[in-house]
Amino acid sequence: METLESGLPDHVADDEDLARFLIQSNQFSIQAVKPAAFMPNPKDRETSVSRQHREPSDALWAIGLKAAGGRTLYGATFVKAQEVRNAGLEVTAAEPPPCHAVITGWPWPEDLDMQRAQQKEFAIELASAAGKPILR
Amino acid sequence: MPEIVSTLGFGFLAGYAALNTLVRTSSAVSCEAQSVRDVARTVVSYGESSESLFGDKNTVLSQLWAMFDECSEPDWDACGAEPLSGVAAGAAAVFIRALPSGVPMPELAPEPNGSISLDWIQSRHRMFSLSIASTNRLAYAWMDGTDKGHAVARFDGTKIPTRILEGIQSITDHGDTRVRAA
Repeated sequence: METLESGLPDHVADDEDLARFLIQSNQFSIQAVKPAAFMPNPKDRETSVSRQHREPSDALWAIGLKAAGGRTLYGATFVKAQEVRNAGLEVTAAEPPPCHAVITGWPWPEDLDMQRAQQKEFAIELASAAGKPILR
Repeated sequence: MPEIVSTLGFGFLAGYAALNTLVRTSSAVSCEAQSVRDVARTVVSYGESSESLFGDKNTVLSQLWAMFDECSEPDWDACGAEPLSGVAAGAAAVFIRALPSGVPMPELAPEPNGSISLDWIQSRHRMFSLSIASTNRLAYAWMDGTDKGHAVARFDGTKIPTRILEGIQSITDHGDTRVRAA
């Protein structure tokens, strides 16, 4: 198994935490992250995550602030790689930047409305697995 | 594809905004202009008094427009998201206004493809999520314990599709661990 520049293995293990940074205030409430927070970007058809633990929080927020690119960083929500795979999606390392990974395998049927419906079902599963967000 | 929702939603809101502007800024002095202004004032006044009767809807609509303002530029999520569609926002407003009384108001969220998400989140394992884009078809999905699914329904701009109403109600009608955004 190869090692990436960050020092992490190139394979994302099932027990790894994946952080999804929350950069828009409507993506979450105090008690729950909303499914839309996990919906894939239509251009690259992926959802960006970071292979980060909840602690130490200083390191988590340092990477989050870089990812936010000057926007407000409200917090992060976490899922295990295994939960992503259990939902029927895949997660793969995608450095640089360090620790970056992407959730792939989203359905892309030609019917755009059905596309949103199918993706939303997966996003609900991820939001359910994530539970409460950690807010800054 | 016909844009029924677009016409009803965005057109109505744009027209209402124009009336508001007319009422608040017009300096016309002719009799005809004054008559037009009086009619416009009556329409706007009626709209505002209606809104005061539906405070919850008004609150959600305010949140909708605030979110639209925040996400109207590309890359609002720092991951390359598309700007929220004005047509989708107008359609979402029409949908919210069409919700029957007694149905809980949704939480809102922007989607990276420019759509608007309306969510009813009862708990981690009970949620209903609806996506409104710039077409007259609504994409939705749900999780209710181990039951889950997705579908698409057509919205005529006036009556919420029965399947969607039933879906929302089945999620929100029972369960004590309601989770709502502040």
